[in-house]
Order: sequence, then structure tokens, then C-alpha cells
Amino acid sequence: MTGKRFKTIAFDGLLKNNPTLRLVLGTCPTLALSTAAFNGIGMGLAVTFILICSNVLISLLRKTIPNAVRIPAFVIIIATFVTIVRMVLDKFIPSLYDSMGVYLPLIVVNCIILGRAESFASKNKVLDSACDGLFTGLGFTCALTLIGAVREILGAGAIFGYTLWDFKIEFFTSSAGAFFVYGLAIAIFNAIYSKVENVRRSKTFDLRIMPKPDVSAPDNLDPEESEKAQASTTADVAAKEVK
Amino acid sequence: MEKVIVSDSPHIRGKRTTRGIMLDVIIALLPAAVMGCVFFGVSALITILISVAASVATEFVYSLCLKKKPLDIIRSFDLTSVVTGLLLAMCLPSHVKWYVPLISAVFSIAVVKMLFGGTGKNIVNPAITGRVFAFIAFQSMMVSGWVAPAISALDGSVTTGATQLTSILGGNGYSVSLLDMFLGTGMAGCIGETCKLALLVGGIYLVARKVIKWQFPVIYIVVEGFVAVCLAKFDFAQFLPSILSGGLFLGAIFMATDYVTSPNSTAGNYVYFIALGVLTAVLRAATKIEVVSFAILLMNLLVPLINAYIRPRPFGAPNFIERIRAKIESKKAAKAAKEEDKQ
Repeated sequence: MTGKRFKTIAFDGLLKNNPTLRLVLGTCPTLALSTAAFNGIGMGLAVTFILICSNVLISLLRKTIPNAVRIPAFVIIIATFVTIVRMVLDKFIPSLYDSMGVYLPLIVVNCIILGRAESFASKNKVLDSACDGLFTGLGFTCALTLIGAVREILGAGAIFGYTLWDFKIEFFTSSAGAFFVYGLAIAIFNAIYSKVENVRRSKTFDLRIMPKPDVSAPDNLDPEESEKAQASTTADVAAKEVK
Repeated sequence: MEKVIVSDSPHIRGKRTTRGIMLDVIIALLPAAVMGCVFFGVSALITILISVAASVATEFVYSLCLKKKPLDIIRSFDLTSVVTGLLLAMCLPSHVKWYVPLISAVFSIAVVKMLFGGTGKNIVNPAITGRVFAFIAFQSMMVSGWVAPAISALDGSVTTGATQLTSILGGNGYSVSLLDMFLGTGMAGCIGETCKLALLVGGIYLVARKVIKWQFPVIYIVVEGFVAVCLAKFDFAQFLPSILSGGLFLGAIFMATDYVTSPNSTAGNYVYFIALGVLTAVLRAATKIEVVSFAILLMNLLVPLINAYIRPRPFGAPNFIERIRAKIESKKAAKAAKEEDKQ
């Protein structure tokens, strides 16, 4: 894998195809589990782990799995890793396991994982797929942690469980607040992204198409002269067309 | 020579402006606001001032963010944000902390009104949504800690703690007389909702100025009371306490009648206000809290649906009965034509 390929995969996963903020995938865990920043990190890392593993395995088996039954096969592979994560979390971090509740087994049908399996891992090489899993998962984790942090600060007056102040707006811990913050996050992210993208595009456009400004050309022509010059050029063009 | 102006209809324009109507609403709200300040003191006045100032400031700042010129903003200022701020403050309790009216007013103007495109474009009433936001966001402050008014009831007793509505819904009955409920004396509540007399005076002013039609608030209030009676197993003694407690008058006269968020046909408005009355009574009985704001918010969201099914009749078009008559006649004509064909 070349460095350039790695860069595009990383850029896609983290920003351009950010599963939460650009593709609006995996909405259910985003809304339900972003009440606190720590929950967001936990859920994000669990999804990242499962995403990497399932991407690698599906990429390895991409030529073996018949096309007609690929979705059930993907789901079984994902379910295997979800079960492993559940068992590990139940044993070692029971508090996180409890706070995730039903959303942990629901990762099986999480559309981010299924989406990456369908659109990337089943068409690309193993190393590429692993990278894609890692960066898509990290993009998901970042978005979830960000939304969780905002909701925790405003709704509970705390960050990562550490109390900041007494001021609380309980609205933000409710599901209505989740929709509100999620929507605003999507709007702000897309506004910044499109602005950055525009700047990037205009730069490449300049380099490719725009001719370098002619240094020798006189800067301050008389308006009359320039008009005359323009008129003459248009006359030339017209004359050429006539010919 | 006279100028000929070629334009789309409407060609005849009324003299009424948004600013004029909103000024009428503000005047109509003043008695209730003054009574709120008399009952609940300086804290009520501060709440109202913060709410109005925050609303106006939010609209101004938002317009500045849209790169409008300050002078243009002031010239096109149509007082709607003042009405929103005033209404919002009137359905908040006087004992809330200073940041509750501030945050709620910013929310109602910035999110509910301006993000949807400003005056006339919002899909729900900003003041109602601001109150619902405050209710969800600062629940502990909104449902408890009620302050007794400065003027005690006519028999000298003062009730603190729960509002009359909560105690009625909780099955404990009301503790002040019905006349006290009407005047708002001796009962706790939100700033603008306790004095029904002042609200009624404001409502009559609005009707006299032809800002609202008297039928609709009356329908809302009567239907609510009647459904409450039905839900209480036809105990007609429940009628007056049910309509006189809580924010029903405030909601019915000033909030449900908002032009932007009520249906645009007369028939649609009847449906809207009857549904509001039923919804309020049923939800009150089911949830045991004051739900006028939630009911109006819910019905606001159904207004596009009502508008889609019940269209306003264009001037000169046949009305409902005429249309049915025309249909019957056309069917008769078709039948006659068929029979002629057979013969």
C-alpha cells in the first residue's frame, strides 16, 4: 500500500466519509449513547475493534463468499466479533457493559460496519481494509465523543465524569437534546468541511488551469486605451469568424 | 399622466401591518403582565424584562450574522420578538433563576424562529416552544418552588406549594374559591396565567381590534372544560375549576390564535381549536401536569396537515353547501342523460 493510498483512506474515514457526521450512519447508538463523553469513547472503540476485525476477515474471504449470500455471511462474521467484545467487556469493564445495555449486541446490525463490509472490504485488499476499518472507526469515535462531551457539559455540568459546575440544562441529557446536538454537529461539520473543500478545490483549479499572470503587461492602462484594445480584439475575433 | 403599475394580485392592500398587529397584542398582554408584577413582585418584572431583552437582542444579532445592515434591521423591526419574549415570560413561574428566561428566549428566537426563516416562516409558536424547552431543560425549577402571590385570597388564606391545577389533577380539589381563581388572588402559578380577568380584558381588546376572532378561544376553552367534565364521569362541578386553573386562558387567547401557526381556513380553525380542547383535557387527565403548551405545540405541527385537507375558499367560489348541491345536480343530470341514452 502506498502512502498516497493510505492518506486517501485516512481522509475518507475521518472526514470525507465520516460515518456519523457525513453519511449519517449508526444513528441509533449515536443518539442513545452520547449522553456522556466516556460512553461515546467506549462505544466508538468497541465499534472500531469490531470494524477492523470484520473488515480483515471479510477482505480475506471476499473471493470465497458467494455473491448471493454475502449479507448473511457478513452478519455472521460481525456477530462473532460482537460476541467476543461483549464477553470481554462483561468480564473486565462491567460498568461500561451495563451502561451500553442493548446497544452493544445491536452493533451486529450497525450499518457502519455492514456498510464498510459491503462497500469496501469485499472489494479491497486486506491491509487497505484494515486501515479503512481503523479510520472509519476512529471517525465514529471522535464524533461520538464530541457529541457526548457537549451533551455532558451542558446537560450534567461535567466532563468525563468530573464535575465542572452546578449549572445544568437537563434538556441536553434527554433524547430531544440528543437530536438537537446531533443536528447542530452535522450542520457545523458540513459547513466547515465544504468551506475547506472549496478552498482546496480553488487552489488546485488555480494551479491547473489559470495561466500565470503576465508580469510584463502594463498595470495601469488608460481606460480608453484598454477599451480600444478590447474593441480591436473583439473586431479581430469577429473578422476571424467571418473568414 | 398617472403611473400604471403592473403587478400580481393582491392589488388592494390593507393598512394593517405586522408591526401594528403586534403592537395590539402587546397592549392586550399588558394588563396580565401588570397583574403578574403586582402578584409576584420584582422577580416577575425582572423575568419579563430579561426575556424581552434577550428575544430582541437575539433577533438583532442573528440578523447581523446574516450580514444585514443595522439600520435596515431597525427599520424592518416588526415587534414580533417583543411579543415572543413577553409571552414566554408570562408562561414562566416568577421564581425561576435569571438564566431560565434568557436561555429559553434565545432558544425560541434563534432556533424556532430565525433558523426557519424569521417572522411568518416558523412552523411552531416560538413562545410555546420556549416554554416547553424551559420545562424540559429546567424541570425541577418549573414544577416546584411556587411562590404565593402578594395579594391573598378574598377570605384571607394564602396557598403555597402546588398550583391549583396540580392539586385538582392530583385528586385533592381546589383550595381557593372560583372567584379567586378568576381574579388570580391567593393562588400560585406562572406570571401571566393567574389573573383570568386581565387575560379576558386583553382578549376582548384583541377581538374589538379584529386581531383575533372570538369564536376560537371560546371553542378551545369550552371544549376543554366539557371534555374534562366527561372524563370526570359527568361531574359538571369540574367545568369551571378545570378551565380556570392552569394556563388555558393564556394559551387559548394569545398562543393558539397565532396567525403563523394556526390553519389558514375558517373551517380548519374550527377543527384545530376543537382538537386542541380535546387534546388538552385528555393529556391533562393522563399526565397530571399542565399540558396546554405541549398540546398547542403538538397541534402546531399538525397545522400543515389540516391546511392540506381543508383549503380556504377563494373569494367568489361556491361554499360547502353550494358545492354539495352542485354535485347532486350534476349526478342527477348524468342519470337523466343515461336514461335518455337507454331510451
